[in-house]
Amino acid sequence: MTINRRTFVLSAGAASGLTSLNALATVAEATQAADKILGNKKASVGRVTLVIPPLVENGNLVTMRVSVESPMTKDDHVQAIHIVAEGNPLPNVVSFYLSSRSGRADITTRIRLGDSQRVVAIAHMSDGSFWQGDASTLVTIAACAEV
Amino acid sequence: MPASAKKGDIVQIRVIVQHDMESGFRHTETGQRVPRDIIRDFLCTYNGVEVFRVELHPGMGANPMIIFTTVATENGTLEFNWSGDNGYASKTTRQLVVT
Amino acid sequence: MTVAAKVFVCWVVCSVLVLGALVKADPVGEDRQSSYELMSTDTKAMQDDPLLNPANFAVLDGQALWHEATGKKNVSCASCHGDAALSMKGVAASFPKLSTAGMSLLNLGGRINQCRTEHQGAVPLAPESKPLLSLSAFVATQSKGMPITVDRSASNAARLDAGERLFNLRLGQLNLSCAQCHAERPGQKLAGNLIPQAHPTAYPIYRLEWQSVGSLERRLRNCLTGVRAEPYAFGSKELLELELFLAWRARGMPLESPGVRP
Repeated sequence: MTINRRTFVLSAGAASGLTSLNALATVAEATQAADKILGNKKASVGRVTLVIPPLVENGNLVTMRVSVESPMTKDDHVQAIHIVAEGNPLPNVVSFYLSSRSGRADITTRIRLGDSQRVVAIAHMSDGSFWQGDASTLVTIAACAEV
Repeated sequence: MPASAKKGDIVQIRVIVQHDMESGFRHTETGQRVPRDIIRDFLCTYNGVEVFRVELHPGMGANPMIIFTTVATENGTLEFNWSGDNGYASKTTRQLVVT
Repeated sequence: MTVAAKVFVCWVVCSVLVLGALVKADPVGEDRQSSYELMSTDTKAMQDDPLLNPANFAVLDGQALWHEATGKKNVSCASCHGDAALSMKGVAASFPKLSTAGMSLLNLGGRINQCRTEHQGAVPLAPESKPLLSLSAFVATQSKGMPITVDRSASNAARLDAGERLFNLRLGQLNLSCAQCHAERPGQKLAGNLIPQAHPTAYPIYRLEWQSVGSLERRLRNCLTGVRAEPYAFGSKELLELELFLAWRARGMPLESPGVRP
């Protein structure tokens, strides 16, 4: 069977179309993941500081620091911080569960970033409210890769 | 983490564990997917009481490293537990003297 | 000479002068810089702090292997060399060098394997294998902060020259030599990344791209793939000569092993 050129070009176009739809879907997926965390509540913007280097040399290991303004007392503390990435294949990156015994809501870790994107940190407070902060970053890849 | 602290002090704890954290999105040269194999949970207990917990997803980097804090309340043992896919489990303990 | 000929000669001379000005010379002496300086603050911090440095696990594994008896003679590295912090000080900084018999050029991994076969009666470790990289990382870090001491001598001159020729040789489908990027254009950008001067001051490294520890040979093979050339095999004459030249080119620069690189 010969595949004529027009058919080939059309199918290639459709395939690349699917790929680009996939990339857009992650922002929607990230929103879905955030909504799942929030329940039927909304997150107020503020109190949460997310620090990621604005330019990342390699997305395999990116140092990230999240801190939340909170007295961390029994009556007023951060109970959880959820990190959601808009440009990763899976939006949920990590969830931290703190308590009034934490002293401070200030955590550093290393995450994977698959592409340049916005990352959101959602803090769940002891009174049930949600606050969020975000950081955007550019991710570069190494020249002279292995394969 | 420090070996001792004054009561009420906020102690910084840094943990790191050797683990490839295979995300499940990598492919071999022949195009086969490398199966997901990651640590899923980290738990820190202080004299048996949970003080900090983490749920890890494939978006966490290899050799997971976490820096967090806890309040020095009493003399005791801090236990750090990592668990994950394929039955992975790792435990370390540290003593904290609180004056 | 006719006017046309004079104009032609003038044009040729001018072009050569202009091209000469665009092409920089290989940085020497004080102008040399480790690729550490090109990294972001976070990545530098990752290398500097043993707790954050992913290659530190290799050092710890290497330390365990150092004390492990192995081979037909059932001896450990420690049984001959004792405390590595004393016996291995400055050792990694002197490689590559010729074997004691003077016949073969060895890098650190090759020397470790020679010790294994000759003194432990053990099977040599495979290139880029976890145990070999761990032992290399452990031995290399004992020279941390010490200057690279590879010098030209009567015995290594031929191999050093061969390495220099390879460094200047255009290779691959992209027809580029090491020198064109790393000697003539360091500090400029290649696909968004800063081009380093390519001094092997931190090997073995944890390369974030690999998500594992690897040797200079692995990195050189990546470079060759980068110019779309057939990479030389692990342990090949070409890679060893190139390593020798690169170490000589970096002589006097301090070792940072184990390093972190993007």
